[in-house]
Amino acid sequence: MTWSDVLLIAGGLAAGFFSGTIGIGGGVLFVPTLTVGFRLSQAAAQGTSLLAIIPTAVVGGFTHLREGNVQVQPALWMGGGGLVGAVVGALVAVEVPGPLLARVWGAFLLLFGVRLGFQAVQAFRRPATRPS
Amino acid sequence: MGVGGGFVLIPLQVLWTGTPQRFANANSLVAIVPIAVAALPIYYFRKGSPQVDFHVALFLVIGSVVGAYAGARLLKLIPDRELKMLVAVVLGVLGLKELLFP
Repeated sequence: MTWSDVLLIAGGLAAGFFSGTIGIGGGVLFVPTLTVGFRLSQAAAQGTSLLAIIPTAVVGGFTHLREGNVQVQPALWMGGGGLVGAVVGALVAVEVPGPLLARVWGAFLLLFGVRLGFQAVQAFRRPATRPS
Repeated sequence: MGVGGGFVLIPLQVLWTGTPQRFANANSLVAIVPIAVAALPIYYFRKGSPQVDFHVALFLVIGSVVGAYAGARLLKLIPDRELKMLVAVVLGVLGLKELLFP
């Protein structure tokens, strides 16, 4: 085990924690960690990230189930729909590695972020609601 | 993109169906499992050279599994609006990054 392995574990720990709290697979953190920090190519980083996401999401998802955080039916519908989208997306991404793809993706994220931010600001103006 | 899709699933649930942030985040993580399972073999088999570094993945996962457990246990303790703001900030930062430096 080398220092770079230790750093990988530390990076995984941070990404996993984010994954558990904000509900992502951790890929948005895995990919830049692997390309910038460990000099993997974009394609290798994406493929490796996808593999790492699976156990992360299984453990996080199962813990959420036990904690009562999951609405099972919507989760299953999204998983099914996402599965179809993922197959199409992965086929496209392997063929069209492009800054364009990243830009489109970035624009969507920014838009979503801004809208969620507005909602959060509105919520802050009202009295606090504790999670049920 | 090498991500599970959580960043699309979360805002869709919250903005369109009004799902509370806590459920949206947890639902998303569960839905990611089949998505990543479906996408992985395509990355692995499509190109001549393997696009998955197993050594890197192993050590990454050792950390991330522990982190995911801790994060999932903690979720209930975070109020909805704080959680929403956290998601919004992360989405905004990542969106800007991808838009400006793809």
